[in-house]
Amino acid sequence: MNFDLSEMQKILLNSAKGFLGKEGKNLAREMEKTDDGYSPELWQKMAELGWMGAVFPENYGGIDGSFLDLVLLLEEMGKALVPGPFISSMVSGLSILRYGDDSQKDKYLPRLIEGNSILSHAFSAPDPEMDESIVEETGSGKDGNYLLSGTRLFVPFAHVADLIIHAADTDKGKTLFLLDAKNPGINCIPFDSIAADKPCEVSLKEVKVHEGNILGKIGKGEEIVGKMQEWGALCHSAFITGMLEQVLRMSVDYAKEREQFGRKIGSFQAIQHQCANMSTGVDQVKFLTYEAAWKLSEGIPARKEISMAKAWASDASRRVCLLGVKIHGGTGVSEEHDMQLYFRKAKANEVAFGDGDLHREIVACELGL
Amino acid sequence: MDFRFSPEEEKFNQEVRDFFIAEEQTVKEARKEWDSGLGYGPACWEILKKIGARGWLCPTWPKEYGGLETSYMNRYIVMEQMHYFLNIYSTVGAGMAGPVILHHGDEEQKTRFLLPIARGEVEFALGYTEPQAGSDLAALSIKAEDKGDHFVIDGAKLFNTRVHYAQYHWLGARTAVTEPKHKGISLFIVDLKTPGITISPIWTVGGMRTNEVFYDNVKVPKNALVGEKNRGFYYILEALDYERISSVSALERGFQEVLEYVKKTGKNKDPLIRQKLAGLAIEIETARLFALRVAWMLNRDKVPNYEAAMLKMLVSETEQNFVNTTMQIFGPYGVIQKGSKWTQLSGEYERIYRDSLENLITRGTSEIMRNLIAQRGLGLPRR
Repeated sequence: MNFDLSEMQKILLNSAKGFLGKEGKNLAREMEKTDDGYSPELWQKMAELGWMGAVFPENYGGIDGSFLDLVLLLEEMGKALVPGPFISSMVSGLSILRYGDDSQKDKYLPRLIEGNSILSHAFSAPDPEMDESIVEETGSGKDGNYLLSGTRLFVPFAHVADLIIHAADTDKGKTLFLLDAKNPGINCIPFDSIAADKPCEVSLKEVKVHEGNILGKIGKGEEIVGKMQEWGALCHSAFITGMLEQVLRMSVDYAKEREQFGRKIGSFQAIQHQCANMSTGVDQVKFLTYEAAWKLSEGIPARKEISMAKAWASDASRRVCLLGVKIHGGTGVSEEHDMQLYFRKAKANEVAFGDGDLHREIVACELGL
Repeated sequence: MDFRFSPEEEKFNQEVRDFFIAEEQTVKEARKEWDSGLGYGPACWEILKKIGARGWLCPTWPKEYGGLETSYMNRYIVMEQMHYFLNIYSTVGAGMAGPVILHHGDEEQKTRFLLPIARGEVEFALGYTEPQAGSDLAALSIKAEDKGDHFVIDGAKLFNTRVHYAQYHWLGARTAVTEPKHKGISLFIVDLKTPGITISPIWTVGGMRTNEVFYDNVKVPKNALVGEKNRGFYYILEALDYERISSVSALERGFQEVLEYVKKTGKNKDPLIRQKLAGLAIEIETARLFALRVAWMLNRDKVPNYEAAMLKMLVSETEQNFVNTTMQIFGPYGVIQKGSKWTQLSGEYERIYRDSLENLITRGTSEIMRNLIAQRGLGLPRR
C-alpha cells in the first residue's frame, strides 16, 4: 500500500506546477475569446516539456510514463483549466498505439508527440431517427476504398484537428477510420458551448478512404471505442479532480478573507461544513481516479474502477462547484471572478465520455446486476 | 502509488481469514451475541482470547506487552477481518486505552494492563460522556478529588456503553476547575468493581444496551491516574484519533448480501435499483480508500487527524445510506420485524436500520467531524 508519488512523479508535478503557474494565468479566460479555443504556442511548449509523449514509448519520441503520470498532469491542467484538445489527442493517440499498424503508428505518433498534430474522435451520430451515416462500400475487393457520409456531433476541437478517428457503420459492423481532417469532403462547424470548449459538428459527404486507414480490424470498432471511452472517462476524472481542488482552495481562501456580521465567514459552521463536504468530495474523486489509473498502469483491467471514478467525478463536479459559488456569494456569479469559469467548465467535463448515470449503469453491469 | 497489500501482507491476510473460517462456530455465536446489543458474551470472550493469543489484537505493540512488533498495516488487516467476521473490529482496550497507556502510562500500569489487553482477557469501557458533556467533551464535570494518597470520585456518566461487561472504566474526570475547561481534566483507570459505583441500563432505539454510571464517593488509588494530572484531555484526543480508524469490511459484507438478494429476486432489472446500488458500491469504495489512507499514514508513523475525521464521517454516513437503500428496496416488507415469514433477509435490516443511527453519533457526530475537517484540515478559523 502506498499513497505517495514516486520521485519521478514529484519532479513531473513540480515542473507542471511551475509551468502552469506562469503560463496558465488567465489562459482559459483569454482562450474563450479566440476562434481556435486553445493556445498553439502553449501547445508547443507542452510538447517540449514532454507532456504529449507522457504515456507513449520512447521509440516514438515519448517518455514512456504510466497512465498515472498522465493523470497527475491532467490534474494540474484541471487546476489551471488549460483549454485545448489535449484529452482528445491523448485518447486518439493511445488508440493508434494500441490498435494501429506500424505504418499508422509511425505516421501519426511522432507528430503528435512533437506537438505538430492534433487528434480528435468522432463517435456520436445524431439521434438515429435523424440522419444516420450512410456508408457505401465501393470497389470492395477491387481497390479497397470506402465512401463515408454522415454527421457526427460533439467532436472535440475538430476545427483545428489534423486527424479525426471516425466511427462508421459498415456492413461488417462498426469500423474506425483515420481521416485527414483537412479532406475537402469534411465540413466542420464548431458550436458555442457552455464551456467554450469547441465541440464540433462534423459532416462527411462521400469522403473516400482507403482501407489502409482503418484503425484495427474491420467491424471491430466497438471494442476500440469502448477502450477509448475508458481512457477518456479517466482523463476527464483527473481533469475534474484538479478543477475541484482549485475550487476548494479558492473557496477556503475566500472564506478566510471575507467578513460579514463582524466575523470571517469561514468561522461560521454553515460555511465550514460546506467546505468539509467539498473537501471530502475532492478526496473521494481523487483516490478513485488514482486507483483506476494505477490499475491501468499495472495492466489490470479497470473498467469498473474507471466508471466508479467518472460517475463520482461527474456528480461531484456539479456539487462542489455549486458549493463554491454559494460560498463566494455574489462574487461567485460575477463574470469577472474565476469561479464561474470552473462552474461552466465543470458541466462540459461532467458529460464528456458519459455522465454519472451512464457510468453507474456500467458499474451496475460490472457488479453482475 | 500502490493500492495492493504486499505479498507478505497478503499472506498474513489469508492466515487471519483462515483462522476465522476455522473458528466458524465460535465466530457465529460471537456475532450473535454482539448483534444482540448486549455486548460481549461467552463466545465473544472466547474468540477475543483466541485472537489475542496470536498477538493479533495489538500486533504493533512490543513483544513484552503481548504484541508482535509488526507493522500497522498488519493491524489494519486484522481489523478488517475481525470486522468482516464479527462486526467488532477492535476492543476499546486494544484500540484506545492501550495505546495511551503504552505512550503515557508508568511501568506498573504497563505491566498490569497491557498484557491482559493484548491477550483479549480484559475490556475497557469509555467513560467520557456526561449529560452536559456530549460533543463538548471538555464540559465534563464528574469530580476526582486528590486526597493525598488516593482520589475520591463523585458524579455521573451517561451513555457509557461497555461498563456492564468491561473490567475497567477509562474515566475522564475533573481534577481542577480551570479556564479553558479542558485543562482541568485527568484520565483514570477505575476497576468497575470498586464500591460506590452503580450502573443502570439505558436501551437505544437499535436495541443496544448502554448505561448511566453513578460514582458515589468512590475511592480509587493514586496509581489509577494515567500520565500527568490535568493532561487527560490531550490523551483523550490522542486516543480519539486512534479510534477514528475504521474498516468497511462489514459494510462490504452487507452490500454483497443485498446484491445477491437483488439478483435472486429479479429486482436487478429495475433501473432505479441498479443506479442506487452502483452509487453505493462507489461510495463504499471511496470509504475503503479513506480507510486505507489512514492505515497507510499510521504505517508511516504519520498522525492522521482530519483524514481520520473524514473516514469516520464517511463510513457512518455510507452505512446509513446503505441501510436506507436496502430498506427502500424491500419496500413495505422491510418494516416487518424478525419472526414473520414475510420478512426479507430474515428481517435483520429492520434492526440494522435502527441500530445504524448510533454510528452517526458515537465517537463524535458527523457535524463534529465536519468541524474537524474544516478547522484542522482546511485551516478555517474557530471564531
